Formats: sequence, structure tokens, C-alpha cells
Amino acid sequence: MRGLSLVHDVLDAQLVDRNEEKIGRVDGLLLEVRDGEPLRVATILIGGAVRAERIGPWMTWLRRTVRRMARQPDERVSRIPFSAVRRVADTVQLDVDGERLESGHLERWLAARIIGRVPGGSEERT
Amino acid sequence: MKKWSEVALGVVTSIGGFLEVGSIATAAQGGAEFGFQLAWVLLLGIASLAFLMEMTGRLAAVSGRTYVDLLRERFGVRFFLIPLVAVFTVSLLVLSAEIGGVSIALQMATGMAFRWWALPVTFIAWLLLWRGTFGVVEQGTAILGLVAISFAIAALKLHPQWTSLGAAFIPSLPSHDRARYWYLAVSILGASITPYLYLFYSSGAIEDKWTIEYLGVNRVTALLGNMFGGVLVISALVIAALVFAPRHIHVDRYEQLALLLTSPLGRAGFVLFLGTLCITCFGTTLEIALALAYLLAQGFGWSWSENLKPDKDARFSAAYSVLLLVAATPVLLGMDALALTNISMVLTAASLPVTVVPLLVLMNDGDTLRRHVNGWISNVALIVIAVLSVVLLFAALPFQIAGGG
Repeated sequence: MRGLSLVHDVLDAQLVDRNEEKIGRVDGLLLEVRDGEPLRVATILIGGAVRAERIGPWMTWLRRTVRRMARQPDERVSRIPFSAVRRVADTVQLDVDGERLESGHLERWLAARIIGRVPGGSEERT
Repeated sequence: MKKWSEVALGVVTSIGGFLEVGSIATAAQGGAEFGFQLAWVLLLGIASLAFLMEMTGRLAAVSGRTYVDLLRERFGVRFFLIPLVAVFTVSLLVLSAEIGGVSIALQMATGMAFRWWALPVTFIAWLLLWRGTFGVVEQGTAILGLVAISFAIAALKLHPQWTSLGAAFIPSLPSHDRARYWYLAVSILGASITPYLYLFYSSGAIEDKWTIEYLGVNRVTALLGNMFGGVLVISALVIAALVFAPRHIHVDRYEQLALLLTSPLGRAGFVLFLGTLCITCFGTTLEIALALAYLLAQGFGWSWSENLKPDKDARFSAAYSVLLLVAATPVLLGMDALALTNISMVLTAASLPVTVVPLLVLMNDGDTLRRHVNGWISNVALIVIAVLSVVLLFAALPFQIAGGG
């Protein structure tokens, strides 16, 4: 059996989806607690709110305040079951489609509404 | 042999280190006020940057990962926040200074006030990043940057006394204005060793798909690139020492810098100076805008590459677009460009420890670098740079107060 360090090898690692697209980083990990059963790593979290919690209460407060002012109160956090992990190496590959993740909302919104609409935004570079 | 065209990456990076507005201005100020005496500081900056580039390049070639990527993963998000905020803020300031540099060059060429140039310059920079591949940005800047060789020619034409220049590479104390001397020393180091340079370099190595076979290329690239930039910035100091110092000219306006090349090269010198300032600052603008976008994208795990269609890495593309516009604002508002440059150089010097100290850990991590971890020479160099960076952190503000302005 080979040990895998959650902090060294998994936490903060680059995540890629099943098409090798970068979909964020492992911002948090959750353990599953069930009566009578041992604890197990259950969920990978991706999202700014999770990062902010790890940094400290002041960051969570700052984030909330900024989001309220920007009228974007909803936190978009992705929760992915650990069973979706396919590979842990330099990157952690998840058997998910990045296009459907809640945490990829801003990427998709920017691509569809802004970047893709500017001339050249969806064309090959020269 | 296509591999060796990668030297362009080193040349571009060193242009950002030694030939942009900050380095030209601080080296010229140093030469004007203290003759050759500050040359040793430039040498220290050149050697430091060469080591930092070689190391971050080696890291990228061996692990296939960038410095920022490893910084976030190995040190965690809590620590990562510190270099993120420090490098982001300082680089954004320098980006403003560079846009200011291009605009000043255009003002001197056309007579039209520099603030009116801020938006056109920013737009062209954005357009290049929007449409060009990494190779275009890299090779284009490297080739056009060759115009800076005019600095070396001008320095040679002035026939400097080689023995006294050589002696100046040994550190010495000034006989007058000590506070000013150290203030300029800090600014020169801040202008040469800038975090965005090695962030850009290590990302560039990934954009250019370096592998472990590129270790030799990396070493030569870091060395040649820095020699190119280094010789030219020393030339700027030499020219200022020979043209400005005897006439007691203190550089406190950018317009004075244009005189650097007119004395040795005449009318053509004026054109060459403006061309050099314009191109090197523009190249550095591209470099910093990309470095900032790389920093955010790699730190947060977004999709990134200057070779993808912009909507395939929308957050990355949005980042450089918005940041270019933000950086253009102070120039648009007519902020004094030389003051902006000096402040941002001193702050850059102060921001070094948070990226240099973690590098010491990463470069000795056998999991990542296997048998390519730092040898003792690199480690001694890195420790010296780290100590230097901490000294700069604590020295920057007092010297700014005592010797600035």
C-alpha cells in the first residue's frame, strides 16, 4: 500500500476534468461522518468561499461584503465526490465534465457573454 | 537546432529586467550622480536575475510546472495569498510605469502630451495579446529589442576609461550623499530583479513546451539573455556618467534621458533612444500583463495559455484585458511618470523576499526536481539573494524617505 498525503499531494493541487481541461484547484476537502462507520474522505471542494474560509474569517467577511456590493450573493462552490478521482499525480484528474461545474460559472459566463463576443475572441491566433 | 531559438525567451525576459523604463531611468540617475560607482549594483542585479531565471526555468523544464503552480500547491492557499497580493500590486504599478514609458517616448517623438498616448498604446498591447501567439509576442519583442544595442555603441563611442569602470564593479562607498547613493542602489536592484520576470520566464518555458532536454538550453538562455540586457544597462550607466555627470545634470525628468544618446550619436541618437524606450517598454508591458494573468490563472487553477483561443481561457484573457486598462488609468490621468517609476522600483525591491525565500524550498525539493535539485553554488547564490531581498525589504522605505526625490 502506498500512502497519499492529503495535504502534500491533494490539497491545493491543480484539478483537470476528464478532457484534461483545467477546472480549478482543490480548495478544500471534506470528511464524511456517519454513525458507526469510520471517517472517510468524501468530497473535493472548489470555490472562492472555501479558499476564503481557509485563509481566515476576515477573508470570508471581505468576500461577502464585496459580493453583496456587486449584487452577486450566491456562492458558487462545486462539491465533487472523492470517488470521481481518477488519478493523483502532478494534477488531480476528476471523472467529471468541467463544463457543468458550478465553480466554472464565471469562466463560462465570460466566454459566452464577453470574450467570445469581442472580434477574434473565438478564433485561432496568428 | 530549433531548440536554440528559445534564447528569445531569455532575451525578452532580460529586456523586462534591464532595458525597460525603470532600469534605464535608475541606471541613468546613478551614472549622472555617482559616475561609474554604482556599476557593482548593476552587476549584482544581473547575476541575481540570471540565477533566478535559471532556477525557475529548470523547475519548469524538469517538472513541467510553473513556479506559481508549485507555490500554491506546496505552500497552501494561506501562504500563497502573501506573494499573490505583493507581486500583483507591485507588478500592476510597474505595468503603469511601462505604459507611461511608451507614452513618454511617443510624446517626445510627436509633441503630443503623453496622457493622450496611454489608451492607444494600451489598445495595441491588448490587441497583440488578444490575437498573437506566445511565439509572436516573444520573438517579436526579442528581435525589435535589438535596437537597444545602440546603447552599447554609444557607450563605446564615448571611450570610457576601462580601468575605472572595471574598478567600479568592486563595491565602494560614496564620498558624498550617502542616503541618495543607497536609495539609488535599492532602486537599481528593484528595477533589475522583479518577480514578474521569473513568473513570466517559467510560464514561457511551459508555453514553449520545454522538457528535461531543455536544461542546457535553459542555462544558456538565462546566461545569454542576461548578458544582453546587462551589457546594455551598464552602457546606459556609462553614458550617463560621461555625458551627465561632468555637466552636473540630475535626471528628474524623462525628457532629459533622451540626451543620453544625442551627445555620442547626434540626431540619430535621439531617434534610437526613443525607439529603444518605446520598444523595450512596450515589450515589458506585454510581459507584465501576461505575467499578471499567469499569476492569477495558475494560482487559482484556471485554464491558461497565450496560444489558446481567448474564449478557451476566458478568465485568463479577461485578466490581462482588464489589468491593462487599470494600469493605463494613472497615465491617462497624467501622473508624473518618473515618480511612478521610482516608487514602483522601490516597492518591487521590498516585495522580493516573498517569492525568493519559497524558491529556496522548492529548488531543494527532491520530489519535484529529482536529481536536478540545486547544487551548492545555486544554493549559496539563492541564499545570498534571499538575504539581499530581506535587507531590501527593510531598507526600501527608509531610503525612499531619506534619499528619494
